[in-house]
Amino acid sequence: MSLAMEIGRIAEEKLGDAAPQLVTVAVDVGDSAGVEPSSLEFCLEAVFATPPFAGAKPHIVRCSGDVLRVAYLEIDDGRPDD
Amino acid sequence: MAVRTIEVRERVMARNDELAAQVRARLARHGVTAINLVSSPGAGKTTLLERTLGALGEELDIAVITGDVQTQNDADRLAVHTPRLVSAVVTGGACHLDALQVMTAINAIELERTRLLFIENVGNLVCPANWDLGEKEMIVLFAVTEGEDKPLKYPKMFENARRVVMTKTDLLPHVPFDMDRAVANALSVNPALDVLRVSALTGEGLGGWFDFLRDSARPVSTSG
Repeated sequence: MSLAMEIGRIAEEKLGDAAPQLVTVAVDVGDSAGVEPSSLEFCLEAVFATPPFAGAKPHIVRCSGDVLRVAYLEIDDGRPDD
Repeated sequence: MAVRTIEVRERVMARNDELAAQVRARLARHGVTAINLVSSPGAGKTTLLERTLGALGEELDIAVITGDVQTQNDADRLAVHTPRLVSAVVTGGACHLDALQVMTAINAIELERTRLLFIENVGNLVCPANWDLGEKEMIVLFAVTEGEDKPLKYPKMFENARRVVMTKTDLLPHVPFDMDRAVANALSVNPALDVLRVSALTGEGLGGWFDFLRDSARPVSTSG
């Protein structure tokens, strides 16, 4: 849970007032990171269901090594599609 | 809707690790050795520290930071055994200490009069393993009232530690605990682990623990 909260902090820092517009948070999780991806996903769902977020979905990207990083964020900026 | 992607590629622990490096550098400047004590809840961290403070508190100029989810009961227990500052961090629900909390706590400690700093982490074998606090060494306490397979269930904690202290050994005649198997499990996760066996209740094994601490604590600088 503490890792999920830290990921939430990073997302909030990056997005500022746009945090409620977050729709996806992608996290790279290495197979040697010491993190169970399904557990992290569960915790992320809880964190991103809580303000300032509004139900963003986690996307876990499994990879090799001990990497654990926020890969990218997707936001719906409210503008119509091109 | 228009979805926009923002590349981040930021390590989750980057900010904490940066703060931990600052803590480590500050402690090093003052010649303070910091030990991060971790374990399951109830493994005996506070009791071991009580005995340690009683025996070595003055000799090694020991200061303590305690982390608790709620209450400062541990800090209150330890304060009875030393006139030196015991700094309590109440995490308010968080399951571990982080480097920012330690950095804040050491601001209240006279580092120039401290040689050994214990950081008694929140009782938890999962989350504290991920959070560098700026310590010199992480030590895991592993009580004989736990299962022998704890190192296999929580490998990261045992991988990150350099030492494991088997606690409550006075209970061995009364519990179905296979010490050899437990130690073998710990060493299978981390072959470099040093293993100590202690009973803070009877004092068994505390001599080895105290010798280790004396070796770890740097001598007080007499310069200036």
